[in-house]
Amino acid sequence: MERNLLSIRHLDAEQIEELLTLGHDFKQRVLAGKEIARISKVVGQLFFENSTRTRVSFEQAAHYLGMKSVNFSSTSSSLNKGETLKDTILTLRYERLDGLVMRHPASGAPALAAKYFGGPVINAGDGRHEHPTQALADALTIRERRGSIEGLTVAIVGDVEHSRVARSNAWLLAKLGANVRFVGPRTLMPAHSGLLPGDVFHDLESGIKDADVIIALRLQRERMTDGLIGSIGEYARQYQINRDKLRYAAPGALLLHPGPINRGVELDDAAADGDNSVITAQVENGIFVRMAALYWCFHEPDPEPTKPKTRTKKVKA
Amino acid sequence: MRTLLKNGRILDPSQDLDVIGHVLIEDDQLASVGTDLPDDIDDVYDCTGLWICPGLVDPHVHLREPGREDEETIISGTQAAAAGGFTTICCMPNTSPPLDNPSLVDFILDRSASPEAGGVFVAPVGALTVGLRGEQIADLAAMKRAGIVAASDEEFPIQSSFIMQKAMETCVQVDLPVMAHCEDLSLSEGGSMNEGAMSAVLGLKGIPRGAEEIMVMRNCLLSLHTGCQLHVMRVSTWGAIEMIRQAKYLGAPVTCEVSPQHFVFTEEHVGEFDTHYKAMPPLRTQVDIDIMMQALQEGTIDVISSDHSPHASHKTQAPFADAPFGQVGLESIVGVTLSYLTHRGIISPLETIRKLSTKPAQILRLDAGTLKPGETPVAQVTVIDPDCEWTFDVNKTFSRSKNSPFHGMRLRGRSVLTFCGGEIYRDRHFSDDRITMLT
Repeated sequence: MERNLLSIRHLDAEQIEELLTLGHDFKQRVLAGKEIARISKVVGQLFFENSTRTRVSFEQAAHYLGMKSVNFSSTSSSLNKGETLKDTILTLRYERLDGLVMRHPASGAPALAAKYFGGPVINAGDGRHEHPTQALADALTIRERRGSIEGLTVAIVGDVEHSRVARSNAWLLAKLGANVRFVGPRTLMPAHSGLLPGDVFHDLESGIKDADVIIALRLQRERMTDGLIGSIGEYARQYQINRDKLRYAAPGALLLHPGPINRGVELDDAAADGDNSVITAQVENGIFVRMAALYWCFHEPDPEPTKPKTRTKKVKA
Repeated sequence: MRTLLKNGRILDPSQDLDVIGHVLIEDDQLASVGTDLPDDIDDVYDCTGLWICPGLVDPHVHLREPGREDEETIISGTQAAAAGGFTTICCMPNTSPPLDNPSLVDFILDRSASPEAGGVFVAPVGALTVGLRGEQIADLAAMKRAGIVAASDEEFPIQSSFIMQKAMETCVQVDLPVMAHCEDLSLSEGGSMNEGAMSAVLGLKGIPRGAEEIMVMRNCLLSLHTGCQLHVMRVSTWGAIEMIRQAKYLGAPVTCEVSPQHFVFTEEHVGEFDTHYKAMPPLRTQVDIDIMMQALQEGTIDVISSDHSPHASHKTQAPFADAPFGQVGLESIVGVTLSYLTHRGIISPLETIRKLSTKPAQILRLDAGTLKPGETPVAQVTVIDPDCEWTFDVNKTFSRSKNSPFHGMRLRGRSVLTFCGGEIYRDRHFSDDRITMLT
């Protein structure tokens, strides 16, 4: 049975464990140069928002699995002709793509695509809503170093309101038993966070006090001009993770960042490159969890090359 | 030709009348209303168990013509109105081009009188400013002579208090009510649903309640200071309701309306980005609905209107933030209102009809909303079956557009017969054996 990966919010702890275990296994095999199950499928990489890192990561993942990637980016004419999203998706469906990896600036767009596509859709980031594979990469990174996520205190620091990474991470960590905190200025925090699984802090020091893990979020360029915060200096003074501030966290606390980093804004060099930082591991683990996601969505490997395919397979959300 | 609507429950709020009786329509005029049985009848419609009301009045309808005839036309929209039980509707000025000049007013009046149309009265609402751009007051006096009954900034809410004050002063002079779209765009810009717990989870930019409340308050104050009659469209928050209550208490000539989606659904109905629930103003919370129910009971809310907003399906089958706001409503409003308000005891049948007919007619000075013979140009009568159980199927409606959140819902109560002059709509739920031709 095929299925979509649209959000962490809809997964249960068991499914998350499944994905993390798959990611871990794939990592072992790739690093040891071992045979990987080969999935002869064609996956469309549909990026309505520019992204080098996530797209390369998915392409690598597909490559390791023996899948073929076809790229569509918003700068190429294929996505720019004023076609509705529905029509774009239907076209890709009837061009017999087997799956879609999709990034879109509007929350909920991959869910809409899944209605019309007929094959698995993986959300590679939709608006402010979710970025499931990033959260999986972060979780794998944390688990490798801490053994278990249950009982950990994780502080997500920065512009939570505009962050899909914050949302996906909060859901995943909470579902696996972590204690989640959101830390950031009032104007960059959701106005009503009651349904989100995190406690809100506006003061950095109390927010990261004794935290086992800190996830620093990127402050986007737009925040500097849209009136929501004061100057960069003001933000950095209050929320930058640096050596001084790390003293408030638990000893040896892990520092994560989804990238790209604004050095000097949310992190200073010492923090980004220091002993607490696991940022490069996140990047590498991204490939393996994306392999897991692709595998999980297609469920079983199909060694036969081009078997005629009909769109009658039921797709689960 | 004497047609008798026999033995129905006559509900006429204009006379505070709630009595079992008979209504006689002679040719196209309302001849008599009462408990005496007239003689010399040609046709009898047996209305036992049904309500006989003044033709319903919807002051807030989008007919989309000119400009978006793929979504609705004056013909299809008036047919939808007749099927919904309405004999008078007001069409909003945010067409393309906008209704800001007398010749377009003439066009609308001509089209609505054409034989293929639904046979209902269309009372146009003119644009307050030229092109709805919020800069220059439109030719309101000329449009009034041509036939507008009010002026509005619908879809393009006037942000400048200065312009709104000048517009209201002009409307006082020309004697037109203002139907205001109360929204502070600096707060609502980019938002697609209520700023609340759901928008935080879905990662959608929210529209804070202040966006509505600030402009409701501003417009009420301007109404108080200028003496301009103000009708606040589409109220959705308890704060806005409170502002209006205060304004009325202070003596401002203010009235307001709600649409059914705002007393039936909350932000939670958006669920997984379902664009059927993208409303303007956005669907709020249960607290707002509870206060709205109280306000309907005490009369702070004067009118229930549909804000019938047809949208093409290719626009609604889009990511939530990109989809348009609004739902169709002419053919579901009576069923939904009866099911969610009247049958739940929130408002009585007489009050229901007051809010769906008499009060909007009074506010807009329309010759409608009453069963007093001689007070309306032709007989305008709606017969409602209050107990008819049915499922609303948007695909069986006259409207060209099918964007309804009520599709598939079980409702109790519907309009079954509409007379505007003669009979303009008879629903299949009004069975043929109720009709007897005596001659």
